[in-house]
Amino acid sequence: MAAIEVSGLSKHYGDVRANDDLTFTVRKGEIFGYLGPNGAGKTTTIRSLLGFQSPTEGTATVLGHDVRDEDELIEAKAEIGYLPGDPGLDEQVTGREYLDYQASLKGDERRGELLELFDPPLDRKIREYSRGNKQMVGIVQAFMHDPDLVIMDEPTSGLDPLKQEAFNEFLRGERERGKTVFFSSHVLGEVRRVCDRVGIIREGKLVTLEDIDALLRRGGKRVRVHTRSDADLAGLDGEGIVDREAFDDGVQFTFTGDYNALVSLLAQYDIVDLEIEEPPLEDVFMHFYGAD
Amino acid sequence: MFEVTRYEGRRRMRGTAVLTALLAVYALLIVFLYPSIAESGADFEEYVESLPPAFREGFVGSASFTTVEGFLSVEMYQFLWLLLLGLFVAYSAGALVAADVESGRLDMLLATPISRSRVLIEKYLSLLVPVLGVNLVTPFVVYAGLRAIGETIDPVSLFALHLLSIPYLLTCAGVGLLLSVRLDRADIAQRGGIGAVFGLFLLDTVSTDTDFEWLGAVSPTRYYSPVDILSEGTYDVAGALLLLAGAIACVGVSVALFERRDF
Repeated sequence: MAAIEVSGLSKHYGDVRANDDLTFTVRKGEIFGYLGPNGAGKTTTIRSLLGFQSPTEGTATVLGHDVRDEDELIEAKAEIGYLPGDPGLDEQVTGREYLDYQASLKGDERRGELLELFDPPLDRKIREYSRGNKQMVGIVQAFMHDPDLVIMDEPTSGLDPLKQEAFNEFLRGERERGKTVFFSSHVLGEVRRVCDRVGIIREGKLVTLEDIDALLRRGGKRVRVHTRSDADLAGLDGEGIVDREAFDDGVQFTFTGDYNALVSLLAQYDIVDLEIEEPPLEDVFMHFYGAD
Repeated sequence: MFEVTRYEGRRRMRGTAVLTALLAVYALLIVFLYPSIAESGADFEEYVESLPPAFREGFVGSASFTTVEGFLSVEMYQFLWLLLLGLFVAYSAGALVAADVESGRLDMLLATPISRSRVLIEKYLSLLVPVLGVNLVTPFVVYAGLRAIGETIDPVSLFALHLLSIPYLLTCAGVGLLLSVRLDRADIAQRGGIGAVFGLFLLDTVSTDTDFEWLGAVSPTRYYSPVDILSEGTYDVAGALLLLAGAIACVGVSVALFERRDF
């Protein structure tokens, strides 16, 4: 049985097709990245999976239970954790009181262990929390009942880089324990660090389903080189270089080839400044899946 | 069971304590004011006679200011219990769902393994904290205050007045709940709750003793009258049952709407 089985799922808001005939499967025990630019329909899918809204057409199952049937879904939810990017917590209670409340609704056999990794100031009111502390409460409540499946919507926004790394490490551990994680994001770099497979959604449609390695080969890097102004930049071109744009004292391109070749190529120039970064997701789409 | 009610009810404790304290202070103020009003009683009756008929119907009814029952029921209960508390619970109920939708709290609740109907009913029941809280404390304050100034009233009527206010307030809360499941913005649902209950109150008062008296029959205020209970000792038990049925109907419709809605 798959952890999540989405079949022909559509959700329309009037004329807007937020999700349009989505079909994909999330296997048990994998970390599945659900990647797409903002407004692509990721949250819509998640809200359908959790039964917050009902599909216009098609359906999905989570842990084998149909999301259109409330009784079935309730059974599944006992084994599901949910972590939104900006969890709606009660501002007037302390972190501890909030976790007690969530525990009364679904259990908390792992709370202590989780609080060692993610340690918000539990005895303070949540309204005094930083964004990161709120997110840590969110993480603890999502995992504390030891669910088989955790559905996360842009979960690491608000976490500082160290906590983010701890969280990624934690997710890998969960995968080792056989848990399934569904992880939506609009940042390729975030997904690549932990996910096994990635589904890419754009304008409500599933563009591709890939193993993360294949995606990374396609993704490439955005490179921006500043040289001495008199340098001849014409040679800075070749295999793996696409979308090249030259400017006064430098050149910018997306590189998808072998990094050793790039380093040798760059070594021939007197470089003043060099930036190599993750390409924006929109660019990845443009280059590899076409503009339409 | 009742985890949501327990949690939300606890969060209403402080507000209920403040409300109860304020009402107690007001009650004592009214009670201690009574002797001097009673002395100048005749003038006061004249003043009441000069009020517009609808106003008299809404706030005074058949009560006499020169008896302690009449004075209390008009100056305190007709105004505070029938109108202000009714508005207060409708306003509070307006936030039950809409405020949680706005803040994202509802998502966290719906993600847990409990049904939507249970979420809604348990949230609604948390309003019993203020409703029961004020009704448990105030009669004792009023009674003790009256004893302190050497007056007394029938304790059974006083008890009945508070007991029968519970179905009334639950209906007002039901009206607020209906708006709360329909509207996404809490402030609109809350103001709508106030507007609806106040509008129904007006409809009841202006239609009384006219050819359109039947119009006011839709208003919960028609079925709960502090003046009748305290001044005349007549209890509208059938009215209370009707109010209870109205409250249940509001909750039932709200559950049906809540279960079908997308969030």
